[in-house]
Amino acid sequence: MKEAVRIQQEDFSQDEEIRALQASSKRMGGIATFLGCARDFSEGREVSEISFDAYGSMALSELEKLRSDAIEKYGLLDARIVHRIGTVKGGDNIVFIAAGAEHRVAALEACRWMIDELKQRVPIWKKEITPQGEAWVTPHP
Amino acid sequence: MIKVLFFGPIAAATGERDVSVAHVPGLTLGSLKEMLAAQYPEAMHLATMMAVNGEHVRDLALPLVDNSEVAFMAKFSGG
Repeated sequence: MKEAVRIQQEDFSQDEEIRALQASSKRMGGIATFLGCARDFSEGREVSEISFDAYGSMALSELEKLRSDAIEKYGLLDARIVHRIGTVKGGDNIVFIAAGAEHRVAALEACRWMIDELKQRVPIWKKEITPQGEAWVTPHP
Repeated sequence: MIKVLFFGPIAAATGERDVSVAHVPGLTLGSLKEMLAAQYPEAMHLATMMAVNGEHVRDLALPLVDNSEVAFMAKFSGG
């Protein structure tokens, strides 16, 4: 089975990740997921590709801490986080987060918390490549 | 030596992925940042986050031991 937290160039399968999460416990009554995708339009410009840079070792360690913190904070049964790096095109998957809990509220709240925290804590940067040129993205709230 | 890492917008602004800085007694994160700001003013203006040996650090008074790995980082934009 693949690691629960990964940074990878290749695409991921949401189905595989959810199956892996479900396999971790039969007490799981609720699974919440977040899928972040590449937009082909941003700040009034067409975006042809998005390129990611990361402080790889720290980003992986921060994602692992984020998963552990979420499991502890929300009493999750399990959680998974996969983030892509390299270059993606409009519509491609970027990040997948899944939280599994006994009940829906913890799963939903943990999922929201993890993506919000990921944006604050994890050293990954995205650059939008447009027909007019390239620009590093200024984070959105 | 101190290994300084640059990523994303800061790497683009410095034109470097990493630089080595000689360790001197009393070197702090803040004094290292000032040295780099003199060399790369535009890049270091973007440096709002810092890490030492892969851990988030906010205290500019932190003394740096020899062979530390330091990253000056722009605000993250993953996800």
